[in-house]
Amino acid sequence: MFRYALTIAQRIIQQIIRDRRTLALILIVPVVVMTIIWLSFPEALGTLDYVAPALLATLALFFGFLLTGISFLRERSQGTLERLMASPVTRADIVLGYLLGFFLFALLQSLIIVLFTVYALNIHYTGAVWQIFIFQTVVLIGAINLGIFISAFAKNEFQMVQFIPLIILPQVFLCGLLWPVAQMSNYLQWISRFLPLTYAVDGLRNIMLYGKTLNEVGGDLAALAGFAIGMSIITGLSLRRGVNG
Amino acid sequence: MTVNDSAVEVTNASFVYGKLKALDNLSLSAPRGISYGLLGPNGAGKTTLIRLLVGLLKPSTGEVRVLGQTPGGKMAAQIGYMPQQPSLYQELSVAQNIDFFAKIYGLKDKPARARRVEDTIKLVDLWERRGDGINKLSGGMKQRVSLACAIVHNPPLLLLDEPTVGLDPELRAGFWQHFRNLNRQGVTILISSHTMDDAAHCDRLAFIRKGQVIASGTPEELKKATGKPDADLEAAFLHFVRREDKKIV
Repeated sequence: MFRYALTIAQRIIQQIIRDRRTLALILIVPVVVMTIIWLSFPEALGTLDYVAPALLATLALFFGFLLTGISFLRERSQGTLERLMASPVTRADIVLGYLLGFFLFALLQSLIIVLFTVYALNIHYTGAVWQIFIFQTVVLIGAINLGIFISAFAKNEFQMVQFIPLIILPQVFLCGLLWPVAQMSNYLQWISRFLPLTYAVDGLRNIMLYGKTLNEVGGDLAALAGFAIGMSIITGLSLRRGVNG
Repeated sequence: MTVNDSAVEVTNASFVYGKLKALDNLSLSAPRGISYGLLGPNGAGKTTLIRLLVGLLKPSTGEVRVLGQTPGGKMAAQIGYMPQQPSLYQELSVAQNIDFFAKIYGLKDKPARARRVEDTIKLVDLWERRGDGINKLSGGMKQRVSLACAIVHNPPLLLLDEPTVGLDPELRAGFWQHFRNLNRQGVTILISSHTMDDAAHCDRLAFIRKGQVIASGTPEELKKATGKPDADLEAAFLHFVRREDKKIV
């Protein structure tokens, strides 16, 4: 089991390194986005301190989903997934290989966002930076698998982009980034309980604003880990979609 | 001929995509060590049959045996599969693509794999372009890389879905020279095509139409069956099509 996962991950890393423009975009875009957000909050730094953890979680979900979703869609549309499925590689190898390959770049992106936000933009935080990274890691694993899963329902890049408002935007509005979940109507609060970003924002806020440890945000972490594991399983099962003709 | 003598044995296989019956009770048997052609128009069911043989699809009814086994799983390592579209990683180089497929088909030993990848690149005459990205290659070159990815692990069975489409006559002749060399080494090649030029190179043929084998045999046998001494394979195909149509009427 997982005999070929590292080979697949290595191939994905090779692909992204050879595609220099994509690599540059992966590294530069998060910094540009955070700078624009920072510039839009010049007079109210206290507000940005409060919003920053939620933004970090949201951007991790957004970029992780987008990067993997589009890449995996290409794997399906250019026929390489079919070729992989016809080889001795198992579905578990493919899911894990993709997870490992993209995780490296998603984590790098997340690292850049966190370090840039904390050190360059001088956002105040109280928790430990390594705990922020570990928490973001779990968010990213879920996001990557969500991207692979959703790519099964798109036939081209245009359709994949259409899924962003459907999958990401509702989570942004309901996760507590714009206004507290507790102030929403009951049915919206109920819906938000099923959205991974709600737990990501809550957990990261607790770590960065209130100095809580990973242990203390264990509930959020468990919900996100559950989402990541659940998505991995569903993703594995959905791989044949589009390959079966 | 027993089942064990056959590289590919399909018995009464049917496959349905939604309401479309892509394969309709199809049977065929391809002996080992030859080039076996699946000849038919677009939409005849050739690609569906190859996807069944490679284990990507399972027959709705009937049985499919490849090298004496059910397709899929670990036995996939014994098959070289070349899909209709080149199906390569555009950002990777020629050598990186072939090396990746060598690894996933189980060539673990690094020096041995490097030698095999080098030999395969030379075989498809792309040594000078080994470091170039796939997106910089012409259509014919991509086809050659795709073939290299299918043969790099020295499989005893090759399943090639329209491998010569879009190739110029010189390149097509080169492909067939490779296939003949592989046959001599005992490799069985099952090739789908809709061109009579490919058909003429095959040892045996199955004419496929509307998901069924309407005739099979050697090219000479099929031509002879028309009753006309100067008939070519195109005339033979049309002869069997008309015979089938008469049966329906």
